[in-house]
Amino acid sequence: MEREASRPFAFKSAYYLSLYTKMRARNLKELAEGVKKADAGAIFHHVFHTVFAKHRMRPYYTNDFAAWVGEELNDEDLAIELSSISGAEPATVEDIRREVLAILEPRAGERPARKEFVFVSMVPIVYETGLRAKTLAEFLDAVGAAPADSIAYHLITRRVLDGTGRNDFSVWLESEFGLSEAAAAISKIDPLIFNNEEDLKSEVIRILERELL
Amino acid sequence: MIERYVEFVGEHEINAIFKYAERLRDLSILHVNSTAAGGGVAEILHRLVPLMRELGLNVEWKVIRGDQEFFTVTKSFHNAIQMGRGEIPDDYFKIYDKWQEINANEMPLDYDVVFIHDPQPAGLIKYRKKGTWIWRCHIDVGNPHPEVWGFLRSYVSKYDGMIVSIPEFARDDLDIPQIAIPPSIDPLSPKNVPLPRTTVDRIVDKFGVDRERPIALQVSRFDRAKDPVGVIESFRLAKRHVPDLQLVYLGSPATDDPEGEIVYRETVEAARGERDVHLLMLPPNSHVEVNAFQRAATVVMQKSIKEGFGLTVSEALWKRRPVIGGNTGGIRIQVINGVTGFLVDSPRAAAHYLVYLLRNRKAREEMGEAGHDHVRRNFLITQELRRYLMAILYLTKRHAS
Repeated sequence: MEREASRPFAFKSAYYLSLYTKMRARNLKELAEGVKKADAGAIFHHVFHTVFAKHRMRPYYTNDFAAWVGEELNDEDLAIELSSISGAEPATVEDIRREVLAILEPRAGERPARKEFVFVSMVPIVYETGLRAKTLAEFLDAVGAAPADSIAYHLITRRVLDGTGRNDFSVWLESEFGLSEAAAAISKIDPLIFNNEEDLKSEVIRILERELL
Repeated sequence: MIERYVEFVGEHEINAIFKYAERLRDLSILHVNSTAAGGGVAEILHRLVPLMRELGLNVEWKVIRGDQEFFTVTKSFHNAIQMGRGEIPDDYFKIYDKWQEINANEMPLDYDVVFIHDPQPAGLIKYRKKGTWIWRCHIDVGNPHPEVWGFLRSYVSKYDGMIVSIPEFARDDLDIPQIAIPPSIDPLSPKNVPLPRTTVDRIVDKFGVDRERPIALQVSRFDRAKDPVGVIESFRLAKRHVPDLQLVYLGSPATDDPEGEIVYRETVEAARGERDVHLLMLPPNSHVEVNAFQRAATVVMQKSIKEGFGLTVSEALWKRRPVIGGNTGGIRIQVINGVTGFLVDSPRAAAHYLVYLLRNRKAREEMGEAGHDHVRRNFLITQELRRYLMAILYLTKRHAS
């Protein structure tokens, strides 16, 4: 636990600014077209913002596409199917876009929804938390002390939005300490089963304690 | 002062605010709006500006001036933009421009970042000397009067960015970045701090309202967009099932709203012959009274037909009161249907859910708790402050990590 890494792990965190994309959908056909054209930030926002407890929707659905289909089109079956998309590694925005489209396109009709779907993009505004870890002991302490938003940033945002394909924790644990089992265990977390970033953080800590202590 | 918000939003959020602010300390920032008191914008600025200063930011707040004629024009613009219709005489555009020039001549505008709030001072952009200009639009511009919007758009398109309360209000005919930032309430303001029960009782009693009987409350200006006549109708329908129900409609005049008096008289007429309706017109700074009534209310309504955001919804949710809200604008992100209250499209639907909630204490308590938590995570002033700092970082291109 005391060996030092060649590169310390610097914990960053982010909050997200919501930007209008000038795209709206009034039916499934337009929703599918929007999903095709939307920028990475928009797909990221509509799929992953539910991981954060501040989300503004009923808890039955795991992403905005599912919620809109369920509530504004009353298509419960399709909503459930959309809720089942996986956010686990190595999914990037492009993988998720393909998965959503594969579900939507065969059903893309023109029956009008009650309210339109507004595509919103998300820009992370990143800041340094000031927490750094050189050893595994420091790393474990820092994960415990870091904001849950910071854990989500390294686990989800970097992988999915920046397209690294792998979360920062696993990359660091493996490249600096050769801990491929611990890295693989962190990689297996599907963030979309969480409804609250604090629970996500607890899961990361649980795995790290199991693997490192 | 800002540390006092840790108990609501946690230490991490406050730390983040300081981190963002550190990157903006070299900038001068100006807020401009049209009224120093009355209405949600002035209320937010009264709390936001001191907090920004406490973060070490160089911030000023200025209020434009105008005569009765100017505010009649801006109120007509406001209604025409929100309701999508209205008669606008040609000379209104000249009167608007005249007052923009007068204010620009009297007000230093050479700041690094300038926030212009709402349409009333939007034309000041014509006199920009430097800096990043952001138009903060608190109203719904989704379906505006074409001519008024066309006029306003010629100014708005010159800004570096625009902030809307919810993405649905953003415009397809603008090429500037449009950022969604909901407004907020301050849990430490006199309107929202916890009150002793005796204070609540005293205030409610002073206005002749019976604390022992159920109270439905709407707090809003006497403005057609808030549908005061529909509120009376909902009450009338609900009272058939809950005979001891009382309605309190609490309004306050704002200096930039000459129409309030007319709508007030219409509402009085609609309530004629109805027992247990209390139409109260209180001075703009009656914050403790509003707080007391929200705490005394059994159910709170915000039955707007059009709404910029409707902060009274968050105020009520914060006090753990479920809200029956019009299915429009920002109410839709505060009232999560069936979770923090109910969204309605008619007086009949409002009456239906009013009766349901009045009869179900458990549902009221659960929704009240969910509402409090929803506001704590989304609509407190520190979150708005943080989002403003993020918007400045983004629009001044300082956001890259």
